[in-house]
Amino acid sequence: MAQVTEQPRKWGMVIDLDLCTGCNACVTACAMENNIHYTGEDEVAYGRGLYWMRIQRYWHGEYPNVGPEFTPMLCQQCGEAPCEPVCPTYASVHSNEEQINLQVYNRCIGTRYCANNCPYHARVFNFFDYEIPAPMNAYLNPDVTVRSRGVMEKCTFCVHRLVHARIDADTQGDPSLENEVTTACAQACPTNAIMFGDLTDENSPIRTLFERSERGFQIMEELGTFPSITYLKGGGVYGGRD
Amino acid sequence: MTRPKPWYKHGGIITGIVLLLLILIGGAAAALVFTQQSPDQPIQFPHRTHVLIGAQCQYCHPAVAFSAEAGLPSTDKCWGCHQQIERQSEQLDILASYVESGEPIPWVPVALLPDFIHFNHLTHVDSGIACETCHGDVSQMTVAEPQTRWNMGWCLECHSRTGEENFVRLSDCATCHY
Repeated sequence: MAQVTEQPRKWGMVIDLDLCTGCNACVTACAMENNIHYTGEDEVAYGRGLYWMRIQRYWHGEYPNVGPEFTPMLCQQCGEAPCEPVCPTYASVHSNEEQINLQVYNRCIGTRYCANNCPYHARVFNFFDYEIPAPMNAYLNPDVTVRSRGVMEKCTFCVHRLVHARIDADTQGDPSLENEVTTACAQACPTNAIMFGDLTDENSPIRTLFERSERGFQIMEELGTFPSITYLKGGGVYGGRD
Repeated sequence: MTRPKPWYKHGGIITGIVLLLLILIGGAAAALVFTQQSPDQPIQFPHRTHVLIGAQCQYCHPAVAFSAEAGLPSTDKCWGCHQQIERQSEQLDILASYVESGEPIPWVPVALLPDFIHFNHLTHVDSGIACETCHGDVSQMTVAEPQTRWNMGWCLECHSRTGEENFVRLSDCATCHY
């Protein structure tokens, strides 16, 4: 029988906004990893685009010294998630094992309460069954469910990778295999602005950044959602521009 | 003077209700029967014979030891033994024709789960779960037969027997649904 050998992990993410260039590589990697449907221009204009992750762009400064600022926004995997208590079917549940918020697609009946209660606008809804054009259906990731119409979905912290890493660590008897797991967005980030890791691991490179960085803040932490993502933003000089 | 018949005593309504019940009961019975039958396979593969001569499950389905899927053997693996031994069945002529044409055998999958369930053979084999716990006694089957009890309660019932400290992990939604 499978044996639990260690305490449950708490996965966390650190996003360094000083390093983010807004290149959207994470958004693309996320869509490819998680079988996110392409909805088309019209649906995005109606606000029905499917993104588990997006780059929020803000303009900074006065003309002509205007510069963009980018904030990758995804599900914050809250410790006290506003989406969870409002779900009438327990489709939005907290995972005691992974310490993240799960969306159980087969329970979801599409009331959309969770998306309306999410302060981060991280949840998206499948308003239709979207067709996958012919060559693209070969790109589907077999580890992730293809969602159908009427189902809410959101970032899962690539939970299929977490589960597979734990299975590899368990079956090969090498716990370090589980520490190497990373999400698709962190893997794709060319500037390493997104870092993913285990917050309970003393040697994890992101633990210090997550808890003690002077630049660290959490988005809407005043709401008491206890997000699992810490953003880093200094007030200094970026790229020769102040 | 006769009182008018109440609405539910009209012949048409009664006939309609009886027909509806017959359709519903017949549909349910047909669904029960047809989901329990083995689908038509291109070759009537005798699992029984292979198990009784001592072939291990993992000889033909080796991927259970390192992968989520059990996998099916290629025609090369079948032919590796069967070109050596005498053909005692006309089913082997069908196999020979697939080998000559180089086409894969179009087996019809029997052990199917919905798309939102991610079962992993590796963890179960690694935990010492025998194949017949889920797949039934294959030594009594010719082609693989669908099993009746595959639902979530059945999975969880087995998971709950692994002990309370493991059940937190093994009852987590993300264990199977992601």
